[in-house]
Amino acid sequence: MFQMRFVWKNLKGRRGMLVGGLILAAFTSVLVVVNPYLSKILVDDAVEGGQTQLLVPLLLLMCGIVFGRQAARFLMVVLMEKSSQHLLMNIRRVIFTNLQNQEMRFFDKIRTGDIITRVTGDLEYVRHFTAYITYCEIDSLVTFISAVVALGFVNMKLTLSMLTVLPLLIVVSLIYSKKVRPLYREIRYRLSQINVTAQENIEGNRVVRAFAREEYEKQKFSEKSQAYQEASVRASFAWQKVVPIIDCLGQMLTFIALLVGGILIINGEITIGDLTMFTGLTWALSQPMKNFSYLINDLQRFFAATDKIIEIYYAKPMIADRHDAVVANGRLTGEITFSHVNFSFGDQPVLQDVSFTVHPGQTVAIMGPTGCGKTTIVNLMSRFYDVDGGSILLDGVDLRRRTLADIRKSIAVATQDVFLFSDTIDGNIAFADPKMPEQRMRDCARLACADGFISEMPEGYDTIIGERGVGLSGGQKQRIALARAIAAQAPVLVLDDTTSAVDMETESKIRRHLHQLPFDCTKVIIAQRISSVKDADQIIILQHGKIAIGTHDTLARTNTYYREICEIQDVEGLPAFEGGAD
Amino acid sequence: MLLALVLSILAAVIALMAPTLLQRAIDGAIPNKDIRQLVILACMMLGTVLISTIFGAIRGMIMAKVGQAMIYDIRRDVFSHLQRLPFAYYDSRPHGKILVRVVQYVNSVSDTLSNGLVNTIIELLNIIFIALFMFMMDARLALVILSGLPVLLGVIFLIKRAQRKANFLFNNKNSNLTAYTCESIEGTKVTQIFNRQKENFDIYMRLNREYQTTWFKRAYLVNLVGPLTDNIRQWVLSLVYVAGVIWFSGSVEIGVLIGMTTYASRFWEPITALANIYNNFLTTISYLERIFQTIDEPVEICDTSHAKPLPNMQGTVQFDHVSFEYEKGVRVLNDVSFSVQKGESVALVGPTGSGKSTIVNLISRFYNITQGQVYIDEVPIEDITLQSLRSQMGIMLQDSFIFSGSIADNIRYGKLDATDEEIRRASHTVCADVFIEQMPDGYETVVNERGGSLSQGQKQLIAFARTMVSDPAILILDEATSAIDARTERLLQQGIANMLKGRTSFIIAHRLSTIKSCDKIMYIENGRIAECGSHEELMAKKGKYYHLCTVQNQA
Repeated sequence: MFQMRFVWKNLKGRRGMLVGGLILAAFTSVLVVVNPYLSKILVDDAVEGGQTQLLVPLLLLMCGIVFGRQAARFLMVVLMEKSSQHLLMNIRRVIFTNLQNQEMRFFDKIRTGDIITRVTGDLEYVRHFTAYITYCEIDSLVTFISAVVALGFVNMKLTLSMLTVLPLLIVVSLIYSKKVRPLYREIRYRLSQINVTAQENIEGNRVVRAFAREEYEKQKFSEKSQAYQEASVRASFAWQKVVPIIDCLGQMLTFIALLVGGILIINGEITIGDLTMFTGLTWALSQPMKNFSYLINDLQRFFAATDKIIEIYYAKPMIADRHDAVVANGRLTGEITFSHVNFSFGDQPVLQDVSFTVHPGQTVAIMGPTGCGKTTIVNLMSRFYDVDGGSILLDGVDLRRRTLADIRKSIAVATQDVFLFSDTIDGNIAFADPKMPEQRMRDCARLACADGFISEMPEGYDTIIGERGVGLSGGQKQRIALARAIAAQAPVLVLDDTTSAVDMETESKIRRHLHQLPFDCTKVIIAQRISSVKDADQIIILQHGKIAIGTHDTLARTNTYYREICEIQDVEGLPAFEGGAD
Repeated sequence: MLLALVLSILAAVIALMAPTLLQRAIDGAIPNKDIRQLVILACMMLGTVLISTIFGAIRGMIMAKVGQAMIYDIRRDVFSHLQRLPFAYYDSRPHGKILVRVVQYVNSVSDTLSNGLVNTIIELLNIIFIALFMFMMDARLALVILSGLPVLLGVIFLIKRAQRKANFLFNNKNSNLTAYTCESIEGTKVTQIFNRQKENFDIYMRLNREYQTTWFKRAYLVNLVGPLTDNIRQWVLSLVYVAGVIWFSGSVEIGVLIGMTTYASRFWEPITALANIYNNFLTTISYLERIFQTIDEPVEICDTSHAKPLPNMQGTVQFDHVSFEYEKGVRVLNDVSFSVQKGESVALVGPTGSGKSTIVNLISRFYNITQGQVYIDEVPIEDITLQSLRSQMGIMLQDSFIFSGSIADNIRYGKLDATDEEIRRASHTVCADVFIEQMPDGYETVVNERGGSLSQGQKQLIAFARTMVSDPAILILDEATSAIDARTERLLQQGIANMLKGRTSFIIAHRLSTIKSCDKIMYIENGRIAECGSHEELMAKKGKYYHLCTVQNQA
């Protein structure tokens, strides 16, 4: 029942509304009994008894009651909708905030399509349950009780004989409920699979075309669709098998009413009017019984869905501000120190005892073979992961003692894997601060050598680019990402292989521009080209989790790896190689 | 489906006999104190219910099957169509918006589709049968009951219009919300880097509020129909009493009057049901419109009627005065002509945005040519089926998308029936085997769509292996090695040098070392071939290429 508590918790602020709505539901359900009672009087007194003058007032009263009841119903719907939407908003708010602050390890495990299933399909069930199922059940319960009370007043014997059906119904429902639970979990899982497959297909549409794998993708998707279809049909069949039993139990009531009621009339214990009331109210007994079994069905769906939502609702990032975190006052200088840092991905060690310091305003370059952990250094610096051992200091304070906001505000990264948002180019460059002046945004584009091609676009900076910047060439995307990082004007600027797809000439221009930035910053440059790194104050060569530090000259003389790269790239004017560590 | 319909009709007809039985009991058996007849009538009543519910359940099963099959078909159609849509379709909208159409919307139409039609027919039949029974019982009272119908239709008509509009707005806001959520998940890292959570949150909440506003409007309209119907029902019921007791006083038996009021209530059930179906139908239509919009999206690149497969592609490529524009009037390629022989390697160089990628995109026919003609093996490119064309080309794109699954599965994407040995060989050729074998589960290591702990360079290497395993006649490498370090790249070049033999290749790269080794170098500028020749020829020419090379060395 923690699922219910979860809903109640998130209703905070509108709980009164929900309760009010449910009370209205109960109230309007009681009213349902009034009209059949009036019909009884109508038939007994006005029609059979000949008191025709009662007819019209009674009928008007009944119409008035229906009107009042329906007006109250509508008010109830409003209350239910308002409170359930409030609930949705609260859950979405938490989940979205959570996702936004979630650490990278979380996303390494969960697929986008899966999250989407939770915030769409699953959340819809929670809404459906809160806004609809709750009041349907209150309706049923109240209707049932009031019908029993009303009928009890008229004739106890007949009422009790009708109630004998109830225990049977409960047994049937409980058996069914057990059976259907795994079926709904299955449906949910299959739906999530469809989402994942479709989402990846959309993201990877270019790869699909490139390999002419359309048929294969269709096949894959069809399989997932089919599995979902089968699971749905299975659940539906399970339901259809139980429906006739429940229906029949419900209709038993009419049978009992007619048979027992008939005998009672014949024995003179009740009037024909009484029987009319009984037959008129059998639905008020049978419908709730039927609804009760529907509830079991919906409840199972609700549980399956809520479980999945709760999973991401409470998934708190391990990387978060400590309660005693230091809040920086003013702009940091951008000094970075790695002190005996160890880090591994699962069983794979990435960094082993890495130490270095970058002073404010310095430029440090990082080189190394593919997959050696260059990007990991950047990820650690921005605290996307926590170190396993040692520490990283930003302006002399351990990252874990700083607030994430301070760290991220101080380090602007132009990532290797460029992600742009479907927004205007302007909006993408000014991402760090949407309110930045137009001129500053354009200046940054110019520094990143992006101004040229942007201006040539028909709508210039207002051109809307698609997700992941598709439609732009690799080099263009990289330059927009670079402009975005520069525009943040952070004390540390990190270029993670940001110019790999940019042509030589533009690249050397960008390099010159980086010396003319209108603000002070420490630069961390990851690159493959010697030309990009050789002017750096320090060059770090990262290999097999260990580092070698030096300048172009010292490394060219002593570092095998660096020397080799220099030679591959035909770098001129190399000093003589003195041999040394790899 | 037909069986379902027949069963439903039978069930409905049988269920309708209940009130007649009740009337006969009240007017006959009870006053006559005939307990035997009463028992018979009661049992008959139970029997009718039993039969009709069993029929109903069978029908339910049939419809569940039919409905789910329909959903399956629609989903498959949308998905299949998406596979044929041009890149521009994907490039011009957030991917979340496409996703909701394939999954959410299709799910939403399922109920109406599976039950809507049959239910409509049944309810209509119900109405007809009830009307029939009513007329048989008392024609005058039946007419009174029918008088409520036009009023109801009028009301529904009025609400309908508002509802359509509300549905449209809601769908729009709903898809905006999903799209933003989707994009935010994909872009979490960038958001965190720039500490933008607060602004994003504000945007998200704004989208949420817009969603809510449209939702409320829609929900209230939907919930208006029920109460209105109920009010009309009560008025009609009252009229029946008034008519039975006052207008036609004396001529209506009490049994008939009670029977008629039962029918009046019953008559209203299918009408209420129809009103609900109609309600759902409106919602469904609005979803279907979106779905069909996607299906109707024009396919720009497809096989022409006379397209034939081109088995055993040799790999000669010829551009004959080719011009191309993505947008009307903006020429990206301008009168480009060249021809490449089987086995030749061509490097495309030039400033970013000059049209290099466009040339390779045209060779793989990702776009249709605006003017001129592209020939593959001397066959106009449109005359070759896309499947045959692309399956014999190895196209490695800048964006190395990795699917969730094992590394082996990702490589196998290039050749679905590749053996483990072939996968290992391809990985070895592109120097990916070293890091793959170091991973905890080797080739069976599971990665997800964002590549998880793989570095960008490693992703490129896997994508490279994926291309290699497909054994293409023409190889296209568009910045394929940009994130790979120089040392690995050199090893890689030695590895693929053998692979390149006998295959035509087009290489877009910025690294001189890669470019130099190609047979032919084309310098592309402003959509034209500015220079073309071997490295030595172009160096001797001291033109743009020469300038490019010297920049790299001096830098």
